[in-house]
Amino acid sequence: MSIFTEKVGMTRRQFLKGSGMLAVAVIVSGVFAKIGFDAFAASDEYIAQRAAGLYTLDEKMALRKSHENPEIIQIYQEFLSPGEQKYLSEKAHHLLHTKYGKDIPSFIEELKGHSGEAA
Amino acid sequence: MLSSTVLSDGIIHVSDKCKACDHCTSICPTHAIQGRLGEKHHIDIKKCINCGQCLINCPFGAIDDISMVDERIIKALNDPGKFVVVQEAPAVRVALGEEFGQAPGTNVKHKMYAALRKLGFDKVYDTEFTADLTITEEGTELIHRVFNALGVPGFEHAGPLPQFTSCCPAWVKYAEDKYPHVLPHISTAKSPQQMFGAVSKTYLAEKLGIDPASIYSVSVMPCTAKKYECDRPEFMASGFRDVDAVMTTRELAQMIQAAGIDFMSLEDEQADRFIGASTGAATIFGVTGGVMEAALRTAYEVLSGETLGKLDFNEAVRGLKPVREATVEIPVKALGGKVLPVSVCIVTGTKYVDDVIEDVLAGRSKYHFIEVMNCPGGCINGGGQPIRRDTY
Repeated sequence: MSIFTEKVGMTRRQFLKGSGMLAVAVIVSGVFAKIGFDAFAASDEYIAQRAAGLYTLDEKMALRKSHENPEIIQIYQEFLSPGEQKYLSEKAHHLLHTKYGKDIPSFIEELKGHSGEAA
Repeated sequence: MLSSTVLSDGIIHVSDKCKACDHCTSICPTHAIQGRLGEKHHIDIKKCINCGQCLINCPFGAIDDISMVDERIIKALNDPGKFVVVQEAPAVRVALGEEFGQAPGTNVKHKMYAALRKLGFDKVYDTEFTADLTITEEGTELIHRVFNALGVPGFEHAGPLPQFTSCCPAWVKYAEDKYPHVLPHISTAKSPQQMFGAVSKTYLAEKLGIDPASIYSVSVMPCTAKKYECDRPEFMASGFRDVDAVMTTRELAQMIQAAGIDFMSLEDEQADRFIGASTGAATIFGVTGGVMEAALRTAYEVLSGETLGKLDFNEAVRGLKPVREATVEIPVKALGGKVLPVSVCIVTGTKYVDDVIEDVLAGRSKYHFIEVMNCPGGCINGGGQPIRRDTY
């Protein structure tokens, strides 16, 4: 018979303790969710303001296309592809491009070999 | 290796101030934050892509990023043997002012240049210069991939289409961690930050007649993932580290305040020559859709041989919607004026990129070029930007 009496379950005290803890957890998570929600709702406004700041700056710039930047023209003419305007030149490829993921270890070895030659 | 701790221990950490509210776990794009409600959270650095979105959105300021200011930047500034140069990303100039009472979006770039000189940097340049360089390189790479796909002879070595942008180090790590098969689609162009580092220790050294070994290259970024990027071991093609140290927009504001500089009363100054000039195309790199728009302005003119009249691709490319697409018709001179409809896609927020990648991997993607920025809105809302406490 003891099996049945044990199955009766929680005492009144245990029930109050359990339900109290549950209520607190619900309220606390609700408050935090509200904080998070408010932060998210408000966040769009400053993002839009910063975006507008960049677009306004763009409109005010004398030059608005990358290939017209005089120092870009100069770096190709004098350094990356001497005497011409050659994008993706050998030197540009070496200095300005990279590899990803599993290709990195052998790429590092390749670069070390290259700087060894240069020295 | 330079401070391997950054790569092995991660950039973003949860402090004891954590109230275990779970807000960050809903923001993290990679489910890297662990811990149940009511239990102090911690970050699984294998999954973390260092974007810092949890940091700027934590209601309790309980998440921090590692700092390179004391250990690297101030040390270099105090070292008479170091020639310290600095670059600043586009997004920094429209947010730094917020730390000095200005409204979001206020342009403070000329005061920023002045403040950096006051802080002791030997030369003050601009990441926008290498954003322009990224466009000429990455845009040309795109054109080569398109020609390869069209079967134009001489472009057989170009990679597959579509091409993804490579500027965002959080996105790159996400792709490396989760989608290795998509990596051949990512542009091989380094990010503007790393390009700047590489040219600062080669071209600039030549131009100024300075030993490249003495150049110390610092960057100011709206981004926490840029700290991770600068320490990646492969970025040393010049024989030196491309970029030696990174500080965030917030950290620059702290340095300015600690030095007692009255920021808003500084006289306007300009960036230094050789690697400091920029265009409007570079400026918009800091906002979602901006890299795409900059690339289209150049690709259109290079491909068509014509001058582009209307510069903004307003309706479709701009905006804050997480996934946007557009088609731009470009007459291609090399193909006898044949009009090529170039199809582009813009994703802001890494949690939205999976479907786009799945389409690419399944061969279903209709796009030629896809821009991905991890942070919602782009770098302007990066993990290194001023925290908007007023939004709580």
